Amino acid sequence: MTTKQKKGFEDSYVVEGKMALPYTYFAGSVGSKFITTVRDEKKIMGVRCPTCNLVYLPPRQVCDKDFTDIRDNWVDVGNSGTVTNFTVVRYDDKHMPRKAPFVLALIKMEGADTPFMHILEECKFEDVKIGMNVEAVFAKETTNTILDIDHFKPVAERASIQERNAGRKKWVADNENAVHGKQKGGKPDMSKPVIIAAALTGAATMRNQNPSVPYTPAEFATEAYKCWKAGAAMVHVHAREDNGMPTHDHERIRATYNAIKDKCPELIVNLSSAVGMGKTAEQRISQIIAVKPDMASLNTNTMNFSIVDRKTGKIFIEYVFENTFTMLQEFGKAMEENGVKPEIECYDMGGLDNTLLIAKQGFFSEPMNFNFVWGVAGGQAFRSDAFIAMMNAIPANANFTTCGVGTDQFPCIMQSCILGGHMRVGLEDNIKMPNGALAKGSYEQVEVAVNIADSLGRAVATTDEARAIMGLRKK
Amino acid sequence: MDRAAIIGVGMTKIEKSKVRETFADMAWEAVNKALADAGMSIDDIDNVVTTSSDFWDGRTISCMAVGDASGAADKNTSCVEGDGTYGAFYGYTRALSGSYKTTLVTGHSKGSQCISSLITNASFDPICERGLGMDMITACAMQANAYMNRTGLRPEDMAMVSVKNHGNALKNPMAQLPMNITVSDVIKSEMIADPLHKLDCSPVSDGCCAVIIAHESVATKFKQKPVWIRGLSLCTDSFFFGDRDLARSNALVEAAKNAYKMAGIKDPKKEIDIVELYDAFTYQELLWLEEMGLADYGKAAKLLEAGEFNINGPLPVNPSGGLLSGHPVIAAGLYRIAEVVMQLRGDAGEHQVKKAKTGIAHGVNGLCGQSHCVWILDKER
Repeated sequence: MTTKQKKGFEDSYVVEGKMALPYTYFAGSVGSKFITTVRDEKKIMGVRCPTCNLVYLPPRQVCDKDFTDIRDNWVDVGNSGTVTNFTVVRYDDKHMPRKAPFVLALIKMEGADTPFMHILEECKFEDVKIGMNVEAVFAKETTNTILDIDHFKPVAERASIQERNAGRKKWVADNENAVHGKQKGGKPDMSKPVIIAAALTGAATMRNQNPSVPYTPAEFATEAYKCWKAGAAMVHVHAREDNGMPTHDHERIRATYNAIKDKCPELIVNLSSAVGMGKTAEQRISQIIAVKPDMASLNTNTMNFSIVDRKTGKIFIEYVFENTFTMLQEFGKAMEENGVKPEIECYDMGGLDNTLLIAKQGFFSEPMNFNFVWGVAGGQAFRSDAFIAMMNAIPANANFTTCGVGTDQFPCIMQSCILGGHMRVGLEDNIKMPNGALAKGSYEQVEVAVNIADSLGRAVATTDEARAIMGLRKK
Repeated sequence: MDRAAIIGVGMTKIEKSKVRETFADMAWEAVNKALADAGMSIDDIDNVVTTSSDFWDGRTISCMAVGDASGAADKNTSCVEGDGTYGAFYGYTRALSGSYKTTLVTGHSKGSQCISSLITNASFDPICERGLGMDMITACAMQANAYMNRTGLRPEDMAMVSVKNHGNALKNPMAQLPMNITVSDVIKSEMIADPLHKLDCSPVSDGCCAVIIAHESVATKFKQKPVWIRGLSLCTDSFFFGDRDLARSNALVEAAKNAYKMAGIKDPKKEIDIVELYDAFTYQELLWLEEMGLADYGKAAKLLEAGEFNINGPLPVNPSGGLLSGHPVIAAGLYRIAEVVMQLRGDAGEHQVKKAKTGIAHGVNGLCGQSHCVWILDKER
């Protein structure tokens, strides 16, 4: 210790001291795993509360909101996230990890709900914004501390679909010279932009399978908006009650439809005319007539529509999905009369043939839009050759898109894209990503579809182009 | 429910550095002032609550260090770690317990003797946060950013708080930083951590404050007119910043709601006459006012600009100059209580507000207002 006296205060001794108290901090089992995973696997892990579904970062033992023990529910939160808050530190001090000036930020990782703190580098201060995307840069040498993530840096931004589309020539229908793929010697027409649709929920995907399934109108709007931002031109919707049950209640369906339209007015909304198990024909079609969406699904054959264990063949739920010729006719007419374009759902070739038979009555407006559905227990599984047979069976000027249940999803949309068709993804059909991880939302699968289109050099359709291609009414 | 009142207050001048005074010297001054204010002798005090923090005191078990100067010898003494309003809260609950009649509460600190940023840095999680250099200023800079981002608040709006409070301090002889400044002076002052300029931040200060809380059975037995505690509540938010909405303060909303309920206040905008709140940074005065329901969310700056919170306005806020004009950590909340007490008694001297029957004193514990303590004081029982 040293003593000193300030000038003018010679009567007052000041003793220079220090409170330096050694201490060992146990990181806890949770903190230990967090730090060692960052160090050894270069992976950032949070914990999910099974009660409220919040993913906490930094991870901890107990949920702050509902007092649940959450210590073992580890989830990978990814290595990138969004800045929710920041400051530029302009002063130097002993406890600072960097020389001033530098940026400290709160960063919400993609898979986490609570942001955590870190240093942000490799960007100009004036470019730091709340909402910017950043990714972790791991330290080359470990210090066994939080600084094993050395810092975060901005993610090189890929231009949004909307920006990319604004920079290219708009696709316009050329009906005079249009040639169907079949007439070009089987050579697909790749010049048409590909329409990406996202089926947000279906009737059977529940939140215990994937927590991102929307139930409320506001959640539908948020999910739809994310999908639109990611590149979807259309969403397919089965409205739900707050508890997740599919509903035929007109008010709830209208509220859901309006919430989506309010959030993204240009997005095409396609409502289900199946609604959910056990609904009557009247319940199924009256809501379509009441709400008059841009488009609605039209189912084409009575079939088994069951839940069967894919590994063991054990039947969990037995259900017959009734779609008689009369229903096909009446639903189809009702849609056309109300300006709602039918999306014709074909679960196998039989359904397609049913449609072609009824279509002879002449009430279907052109172009007809088919959706080849794969992998329903009761329908057919995805096979490449079956796909081509279906494609070859539709009328020359008809459009086709496709969707597949579970692992059929990505192969079938890829084939469709190659063949000049369109693509549908979404949590209704599949809750996972190609790598088997849970999708963070339908939008993440839309991103996969966009990547497929990019790989094949096909433009992703804007909502206007999608309306023109499918012959929908103007928005 | 029994009632309690504050029957005496005493404070030292808040200064940048009280070189010639120890903690005990400061406490001696504040306690004797409070006793004189109440018309009591130390023998009339039956228990003592001190408020301190080991690291700010630079010693461990700091709670026992100012007992002598607080007249705690042979008395029931206890200590609260945190802001003075929390020590006073404990003092109040002691009064209500029925076991104590007169509680002396003190709070002291000498910021001049320590490096506050190192202390606040050490309050962060040792595993995940401390090594990143977080401290009170960087944390509050982030909160200011969040609040600005949410409400569209501009740096100029925050600067108006600094102008008002330093201006108010010109009339308060106890304030450390009386200043006649302009919005442009604030904006031009050194940037500490974006968006906080130097004049958006409270200074480092030394000071001590003492208040005497009496059970209703003895509240009128001494010379001083009691100021009644009508409502009192505290509430704490999550520790980790990411768990909170930094642009809001749910803890303060809750604390204020409960304090109003206890006081029977239905419309705080109409029924509160004066506020002394914890403006450690300019933006906090606005955010805290809004979360206490004294302004609509995101609208306090407009009211401030219109003069509503001026010393002669309809709702004077920090007529003493607030923390921006002197921030002795730990003692700061007790100063708020003492200031409101003097205002309600009409003893505030040159910074006395015109009409004041009911007032709010507000204290904060933890970073970015993790915990809030709200006092509703009234000159009438």
